[in-house]
Amino acid sequence: MSRRTNANASAAIRFFVLAAAVAGIALPMLSEQDFPEGKWWKRPRLAGEINLSPEQSREIEKIFVKSRTRLIDLKADLEKKQLALQSSMEDRGADRRTVEKEIDTLENARAELQKARALMVLDMKQVLKPDQWEHLLELQQEMRERRLMAKEGRQSYRQGGPFRRKPNR
Amino acid sequence: MNDFRSRGHLTDAELFGLAIPAVGSPEALPSHLSDCLACSRALYEWKGAVRDVADDIGPLGDRSSEAWTAAEEQTMHAVRRTRFARPALPLRWGVGVAAALLLFALAVPLHRPTAPATPSGPSASAPDLSAQDQVDDALLRDVARLASAEETGGSWSTLVPEPGAANGEEDRL
Repeated sequence: MSRRTNANASAAIRFFVLAAAVAGIALPMLSEQDFPEGKWWKRPRLAGEINLSPEQSREIEKIFVKSRTRLIDLKADLEKKQLALQSSMEDRGADRRTVEKEIDTLENARAELQKARALMVLDMKQVLKPDQWEHLLELQQEMRERRLMAKEGRQSYRQGGPFRRKPNR
Repeated sequence: MNDFRSRGHLTDAELFGLAIPAVGSPEALPSHLSDCLACSRALYEWKGAVRDVADDIGPLGDRSSEAWTAAEEQTMHAVRRTRFARPALPLRWGVGVAAALLLFALAVPLHRPTAPATPSGPSASAPDLSAQDQVDDALLRDVARLASAEETGGSWSTLVPEPGAANGEEDRL
């Protein structure tokens, strides 16, 4: 009896360690900068910049279509789990162990979604030539930086305008 | 009556004469009235005022000169009252202009450039994509956002209430 309990506990620990490793260590290594945003292969300017051929575009579309249903399901699942956890967190009488379990299931759902997305991007990457992929990531990075600068500009404007004078020291 | 044209607009007395023609033969209308909108309008008002007064003071046949003078005074008073009661046109214009200015003032803030929406809006960032591609684009962006738990506070850790806030609430209780 106690041996079986120990075996179950050990399996559970192994599972959570593995899940933590996937969610907490492996997936952050695949940072946002490694993934192009949105349906980039359908954007004429971006496709032109990296010389994406119509065949490549079709192939990438096929990969996406193959993953789409699963992405939709995983996204919905993650959102449902987010809602469940949110309800529990807002409930003052929520059981601590229940919340703990919901956090685990939420993070597992997130890891599943991240994994599905990462595998889809990996398949897409293999359709492209290395220089196309590099150029795509560079362009994405430029766009992110431009967005960030625009966002910071807006924030600085809200905090006093672009021509706000610095106080004299 | 032919000398009406030579003197510009018709006087009140002339308008009165036209509004109440002599008994028997109808008064010939001066040709000025066909050219001058202001005078024809004034005559129309005079006639209206005469009708109003006639309703009040009875038939015109058996009147003394005093009665005629009183009728003239009463008619002129009625005409003046009508004219004073009519600055509604400029007032109406003023109200219209004010309403237009108010609408303009309300509409201007609506056209101010706003901050871009979060990437979940399909058409916000994908003007050159088809409808289905926009839906797919939104899906991919949502997936990216949820998977990384960035920007939106999608991470469960953001659901934990601030300790200070909780203490403050307890203090109040």
